[in-house]
Amino acid sequence: MAYVAARGGEQAILRAEALHGRLRAPLSAAIVRQIEAHLPYLVDRVMGEGSLYAPELAALALAQSGGDLYEAVLLLRAYRSTQPRIAYAEPVGQEQLHTLRRISAAFKDIPGGQILGPTLDYSHRLLRLDLLDGLGGPEHGGAPSSSTDGAVTPAELPQTPPGPSSPLPAVADWQRASGLLATLPDAPAPDPAELPDVTRDPVHFPAPRAHRLQSLARADTGGALALGYASMRGYGLAHPTVNELRLAHADVLLRHPITGATFSAGRVRVSQCEVVNTSAVELRLGYAATLGWNEVKVIAAAMLDLEMDAPTPHPAHREEFVLYHTEPVESSGFCIHYKLPHYVTFQSGLDALRAVRAEGSEGSVQAQSGAEEQA
Amino acid sequence: METSDLLSTLTRAEPGAVKAFAEELLPALEPVEVLRNRTGLAMLPMRETAQGASFYLGEILLAEAHVRAAGAEGYAACLGRDLEQALALALIDAAHRAGVAGPAILAFATAQSAALEEADAALRREVEATRVDLETF
Repeated sequence: MAYVAARGGEQAILRAEALHGRLRAPLSAAIVRQIEAHLPYLVDRVMGEGSLYAPELAALALAQSGGDLYEAVLLLRAYRSTQPRIAYAEPVGQEQLHTLRRISAAFKDIPGGQILGPTLDYSHRLLRLDLLDGLGGPEHGGAPSSSTDGAVTPAELPQTPPGPSSPLPAVADWQRASGLLATLPDAPAPDPAELPDVTRDPVHFPAPRAHRLQSLARADTGGALALGYASMRGYGLAHPTVNELRLAHADVLLRHPITGATFSAGRVRVSQCEVVNTSAVELRLGYAATLGWNEVKVIAAAMLDLEMDAPTPHPAHREEFVLYHTEPVESSGFCIHYKLPHYVTFQSGLDALRAVRAEGSEGSVQAQSGAEEQA
Repeated sequence: METSDLLSTLTRAEPGAVKAFAEELLPALEPVEVLRNRTGLAMLPMRETAQGASFYLGEILLAEAHVRAAGAEGYAACLGRDLEQALALALIDAAHRAGVAGPAILAFATAQSAALEEADAALRREVEATRVDLETF
């Protein structure tokens, strides 16, 4: 297959872009700020798939694309490619996370307890029509968001908060201490600048674990969910449980180039999930994490991590299949490229079709005349 | 206050307040030389809990600044693309390291730290209120 250049219609292209803009409300800095403030989970999804933590720019990308997620991710990835890499942060460990939500579906009594944190898990899924009717907002004494049933007044909150470093011990650590999980290798911490990096190295299969987890962190939420759901429905070999799910803030620790000391450049939202599978001899964990808070993605991706380790996984759960087909920019880009001019390719196909038909009709005429001669 | 504590506090402080405070320090810091002021990316590695491997979670957009002021060098980086915020932070870092306006910097950083701790504690109280004891039947 070869590509040919096409040209023409510059004015039409410019007018098409202008029309695209006119059919949504005008953009402004205030709109971008509102998207960032009001749609944090959508902003997080774009940042996770764009693999760039920049809430302001993710909100701008969403506004600019009219909410087209793949366009927004592409905008963010394109911006990312214009920026130099200036630092490698210190590795984030679970013990350093400022955890806001930590739950386990495997054990109800876990060290540190179950913290629901910010979630709609157990909420009624009812549309707030009162908001549309102008009756439910704070100006009418209603809750600013969500249901009023669970609204908490400051007096109801614990007066003494847990300390800043109040531990929520990892469920896996407890399982390891109990002999349920294999202990982690006692390897020295790698140089943060020397990890395998899918943005700079080609991925070869079987992929280094760093490539696999980085790819899953950047994966398309819908793609990871589709393949993960196939596993959950029974095409997979694992039947795991969520061992632990965390939403947290993580400090971005940089090394001061003059003093050599580390300092925090700020905090970012991260999510991570472990799923656990029982086998005949021991528990096995699958793992995934991403920038931003995106529970569906990390749960599905952690299940895929477990599936990919199976000796003979279902074809849709092989590492190469999963990592290639959940890459959002490549997959969406390949999909939408089909709507671009393919005139030469299609004409070539038509030529072949006509030639086959012509040969066929000639053959049938010859066959018919041959039959007549025999008769 | 150590440099790392100072920067860790001020990178999370309200940018407008940080810029205004750096502006106040400027006359005592002249001449100021800006060695670098740019945006860029930091790779964020993470250690996973299943097999203990480290991997890149993604990249973080940063603004960074490196300055020379009052005979000392200052450096800072903060999340986002606000070059003025990074510059203000680097100037405060330089002033701190040069011993300029020490009490004022300490007072400003302490006040910012207290405000952040208050906000963090309020959030932790809200999180603690979501602790749940699940029962099985």
